[in-house]
Amino acid sequence: MAAVTLTNVVKRFGSFEVVHGADIDIADGEFVVFVGPSGCGKSTLLRMIAGLEDISGGKIAIGGKVVNDVEPADRGIAMVFQSYALYPHMTVEQNLSFGLRMNGNPKADTERRVKRAAEILCIDELMQRRPKQLSGGQRQRVAIGRAIVREPQVFLFDEPLSNLDAELRVQMRVEISRLHKELGVTMVYVTHDQTEAMTLADRIVVLKGGNVEQIGAPLDLYDDPANRFVAGFIGSPKMNFITAKVVETSNSAATVELINHGGARLRKPLCKALPAVGAEVVLGVRPEHFFEVGEGDCDIPVKADVAEHLGSVSYVYANAGAEELIVEREAARQRASGDHFTVSIKAERALLFDKTGARIR
Amino acid sequence: MRYRNATAYRFLTPYLLIFAVFWIWPIISSFLISFQATRTVPWRFAPTFNWGRLIGDSAFFNALKNTLLILVIQVPVMISLAIVMAVLLNSPLLKARGLYRFAFFAPVVVGEVAYSAVFRLMFSLDFGIVNKLLNSVGLPKVDWFSNVTPAMALIMIAVTWRWAGYNAIIILAGLQSIPEDVYEAATLDRVSKVKQFFHITLPLLKPVIVFCAVLSIIGTMQLFTEPFLITERGGPGGGTETLGLLLYRQGFRSLNFGYASAIAYTMAGLAIAITLVQLWLTREPK
Ligand SMILES: Nc1ncnc2c1ncn2[C@@H]1O[C@H](COP(=O)(O)OP(=O)(O)OP(=O)(O)O)[C@@H](O)[C@H]1O
Ligand SMILES: [Mg+2]
Repeated sequence: MAAVTLTNVVKRFGSFEVVHGADIDIADGEFVVFVGPSGCGKSTLLRMIAGLEDISGGKIAIGGKVVNDVEPADRGIAMVFQSYALYPHMTVEQNLSFGLRMNGNPKADTERRVKRAAEILCIDELMQRRPKQLSGGQRQRVAIGRAIVREPQVFLFDEPLSNLDAELRVQMRVEISRLHKELGVTMVYVTHDQTEAMTLADRIVVLKGGNVEQIGAPLDLYDDPANRFVAGFIGSPKMNFITAKVVETSNSAATVELINHGGARLRKPLCKALPAVGAEVVLGVRPEHFFEVGEGDCDIPVKADVAEHLGSVSYVYANAGAEELIVEREAARQRASGDHFTVSIKAERALLFDKTGARIR
Repeated sequence: MRYRNATAYRFLTPYLLIFAVFWIWPIISSFLISFQATRTVPWRFAPTFNWGRLIGDSAFFNALKNTLLILVIQVPVMISLAIVMAVLLNSPLLKARGLYRFAFFAPVVVGEVAYSAVFRLMFSLDFGIVNKLLNSVGLPKVDWFSNVTPAMALIMIAVTWRWAGYNAIIILAGLQSIPEDVYEAATLDRVSKVKQFFHITLPLLKPVIVFCAVLSIIGTMQLFTEPFLITERGGPGGGTETLGLLLYRQGFRSLNFGYASAIAYTMAGLAIAITLVQLWLTREPK
């Protein structure tokens, strides 16, 4: 078991810098998820930890030992690839044991490890099959099994579920979570799916364009995002962003006018430096944080465009002024398209961002 | 539906006609001819005449022996060489890959006569560059054309030079279809590059290698150009005579079509038999 520490890690492909100095501390036994949009450098970071990519700058330490110049096989890691990367010409059993056999591991120990991995993943039945004869979910299990057999200190997963259908994805997600509890080892998991990140992670690292935007526990990111990007990325459906302007500041509070909503105003108490009067700001409100008229501090009338009924909740895609808002409603209060209704925003449930996207607290 | 098919067949008719006249008919006809005595006028039906002669003909067994010898030595050497060339071509360290790929492929498009003439010059006893090179490293000259063993070696070298690059290009395509992450997984499994080659690359290339081997076996069974042009009609003294040459001599020098047809059928039968054995030996385990 080992902690993983990234210190000011930089990656360049030629002169093109794709990771701009990442500082990430992963504690021993922690489950950390790297999440971010496509191309933000998640895989690159993971591959640098694995040793499959050179590190252009900074340091990566595993279990307290800097591994920049350590061979991938000597880093105590195992990786599960998005494409599974199984050896196509070997049976499941051979796939699991290949690495150990090639390194002259004692036969009895190899057998024990393979057996244990097969039991953990319930793939005993499949041992004599080839990857071609397996379903996507079974291949995924074998790929994870191959990682378990190595008995690594750190597991690395690169979007392991993205080739599975929705149902299987949920099932494997639960299983990976169970595996983490059972093995108690450090896991680093890459995904661009925020639901996966929220459900699996002890802590989430949100990346964007090669920068670490925020690191924190799932609910911390959800409740207290550092900036507009994180606020928009975490949570589904996305947070609504409402254009506003500061019209008055006083007594550690700013009053903003929602310019597209007929002059509706909201007084937002703040604890840090107040924005300038007249500054353009953005008010962030999650779909589930719209309240009934009178329950909140600021009412805005909207017209339902489309309503999606999911059973327990409904999402109303509403048009308000020039802005599209997504409003979550309990099923009992569902609306049909074309309805006019009014929603209310609570100051404590609204987040304020400045023009650059930084949070105003 | 039927009507649509009929239209398609009408468009295909010219091709099918030509195919029938110049492919199907000769195949049938030569089979029939192989059962006829063709040195008499008119030809007469004599089922054992040619086939009986074949069984006892020392010239035939000499040609068969030479052909199989070339096959057994040259094909494995060439395929191994082609694999090495393909792996080198595939290396990320290689600069100017396109140029090498062209260079490897070029021998196939060089005219047969020109290439044979150049080989004769290169291997000539007194003026050839090969003997000069041998001399310069202190080895004796080799008379490539008047002794059987060097002459056979020369044929094998020439055929290998001509076709190794061609096979390398086919194998290269196979190499490039092996996903990179399989090697990355092996690297994480602490499997050395050499072991990766033998335990991952070679097994995954097997279908392509078998394909190349089958093509080469069929090609070598019909070997004609090199012994005809380079060692002057199977010289010295029939030492490099192949089945292809024997067929040519019987059919087109002696005009013994019946016997030539029997030889042709033997060659085809052998090629099919060897290929089947090869496919069976390298079949995918169930
Ligand atoms: N070998 C390479 N050479 C040059 N640029 C590369 C290379 N590999 C990745 N990149 C670039 O680095 C950036 C990050 O790539 P990376 O694969 O880490 O993204 P990602 O976050 O994993 O995205 P995805 O969710 O699509 O997998 C991208 O802009 C990509 O184009
Ligand atoms: Mg990726």
